[in-house]
Amino acid sequence: MIKKIKASTSEKIILIFLVILLISTLGTYFIIKNKCLFIKSFDPKNINFKNPNNIAILNVPCGNVIIELYPKVSPNGVERFITLIKSSAYDDVAFHRVIENKLVQAGDLEFGRKEALDYGKIGTGKSGLGIIKSEIENEFNYTKGSVGLARTFKNDTEDSQFFIILQDEPLFEGEYTPVGKVIYGLEILKKIKHQRHSEYILRPDFINTFRMLD
Amino acid sequence: MNLFKAILLLIIFITPLKANTIYNLIKIPNLEIYEINTKNKLKYFYATSLFRLGVQKNIVCLNSNKKDLEKKYKTIYKTLSRYSYDYLKKINLKYIVLCENLSISGINTAGIPDNIMKTLILDIKFNEDYFERVIHHEVFHIINGQHKELFDENEWIEFNNSEFKYAKCSTCTKKLGLETYKKTNGFFTEYSKSTASEDMAEVYSHIIFLNKKKIDKIRNSDPILNNKISYIENKIKKIDNSFTF
Repeated sequence: MIKKIKASTSEKIILIFLVILLISTLGTYFIIKNKCLFIKSFDPKNINFKNPNNIAILNVPCGNVIIELYPKVSPNGVERFITLIKSSAYDDVAFHRVIENKLVQAGDLEFGRKEALDYGKIGTGKSGLGIIKSEIENEFNYTKGSVGLARTFKNDTEDSQFFIILQDEPLFEGEYTPVGKVIYGLEILKKIKHQRHSEYILRPDFINTFRMLD
Repeated sequence: MNLFKAILLLIIFITPLKANTIYNLIKIPNLEIYEINTKNKLKYFYATSLFRLGVQKNIVCLNSNKKDLEKKYKTIYKTLSRYSYDYLKKINLKYIVLCENLSISGINTAGIPDNIMKTLILDIKFNEDYFERVIHHEVFHIINGQHKELFDENEWIEFNNSEFKYAKCSTCTKKLGLETYKKTNGFFTEYSKSTASEDMAEVYSHIIFLNKKKIDKIRNSDPILNNKISYIENKIKKIDNSFTF
């Protein structure tokens, strides 16, 4: 006859501890692996927009970022932006410059494409449509979520690259051409891959798609 | 080629992250915002610690204490409020950097204008007697840099007596006095005699700083300065016709 041995209290505690440890290890593993776990993505179909013609949907690894464009503030800049969005030019293009909680930048159509990423030249590429003039005359508050066209050190060199700021940047007013503002999904952009020691990103995240709503 | 690319990449990815908006805009380190909500949209920054600039790092300026900054900011703000947003846009001046004991290659200077960066660095510890006028003087250097085509030094030299010669540069002369002459004789100050461009800046700053009555008196008594004043006024009108002296 086999004698039934009861687990002692300390053995029970150790067992419970091991179970908790296992759960937390697995939980942490999945949380770390899935950076998008607690991030809400937005479905534009479920939202009513005041100006649906000026709405662009930027789809990135953690979901949809919904941007309202401001053609009245920067007519030429927005026109260029829409032209590139409508031709799907931004699809599979890298977020090549990311500063944690500060800004994300993408849109190098020449050296930032997934299939032809060139780390040595990224950030200097062109769209092939030529440069356009800066539109910095109109008042615009660069609050977080603002979208602007990037340029070289000189004005009037805007092309396809754009940035989205993740914090207020009042000094950007009068410096960069504003094209719109994120109205939903700013948190999604905070999950774009960044590095602590460099604003240029090794193995960066890419734009999945960038489309106009209509 | 591959080795070159690898080295380039290494440099890019180990470069320390300078996520500083002010630095990105005007390439001057160690600055913080002092005031950016001004009527003419000038943005004022102050140095939080010493900064060095230039290829040879020969431009040096120190930080200042809060009390000095507060006191001098009022004067600088008042002086620069003379200029409208439209005028500042035309001359390409947007950022004012306030610091202390500004020097280039060890030589103290009141200000360093840089129209390309839209920036004027001002030494808040510069001689109180001339401080306000000197700000206008430095503003002129911004104007001159931005509109080089308007200000012809050869044309300017013709206003002086034929025997007069400027020095080769503003720092290679001992003519550094900033006190306004009682008897002008073609020049407002001793420093006016250093170079044509400094002379222009001195004329500009005096037209802005002195009242109209005094300027008219000088115009009537000094034909050389009368020509110089008219020259500066005409050129400024070409930049901004609405500007009033």
